Amino acid sequence: MPLYSCNAAPGAISDAAKPKIAADITRIHCDVTGAPPIFVHAFFFEEAPHQPLNGHQAFLFGSIRAGRTDAQKAEIVEQMRQSIHTHAGIPLEDILVTTQDTPAKWVLEGGEIMPEPGEEAEWLAKHHPEAVERA
Amino acid sequence: MIPCMCIVQDGQISSASEATLKSKLNAFAQKTFGEDADINWIKVPQRSGFTASKPSTSSIVTMRAPEPVNQDDRGPLLHELCQFWIAETGQSMNEIVGVISDPVAA
Repeated sequence: MPLYSCNAAPGAISDAAKPKIAADITRIHCDVTGAPPIFVHAFFFEEAPHQPLNGHQAFLFGSIRAGRTDAQKAEIVEQMRQSIHTHAGIPLEDILVTTQDTPAKWVLEGGEIMPEPGEEAEWLAKHHPEAVERA
Repeated sequence: MIPCMCIVQDGQISSASEATLKSKLNAFAQKTFGEDADINWIKVPQRSGFTASKPSTSSIVTMRAPEPVNQDDRGPLLHELCQFWIAETGQSMNEIVGVISDPVAA
């Protein structure tokens, strides 16, 4: 968590574009929130029934830990929308990006309840010490 | 029915393990919430899943409780859920994300 799930029309996002957008999603989320990259999942689908496009060519849905400000969420939405536009060539008006808050205490990752935003250091040191050493 | 969504990387979990996990998820929902699980098994296509910008080996398992869950109960339930998942798949604890949400999170 966060989990960013991107549904798109067939062929709208190429296999070559996916890793670039995923890298942007990871960077943007971490830049805006201060979260470590190890938490960020970005999955891509085509015409996935669990995430209807509702007339858009791409719909990126981010399930993020609760506690982010409205300004942070707006920044995430705008930057990720721009990334999809840049790498996939989809017009901005055909790209929908939304986020949904999920309380950290509802999530188990690495065998422990997720830390609240800003309290990741102890969790990281236990589960991903290599990430701490790189920081 | 208890909504349950499993997002897995295509090719990572065999059909036999998928069937076993669905059976265990249903038994877990029955035991915990008294209802069957309505399981949506979603495969992330090849070359389409990324964790920390690298090809992902992660699975996400979410279950929505019919009533708010006491946090003292949620932790052990999540551990139980993730333990039977990794026992079946051979994944590590770092490759499984478990979520038990309250109904308001829908």
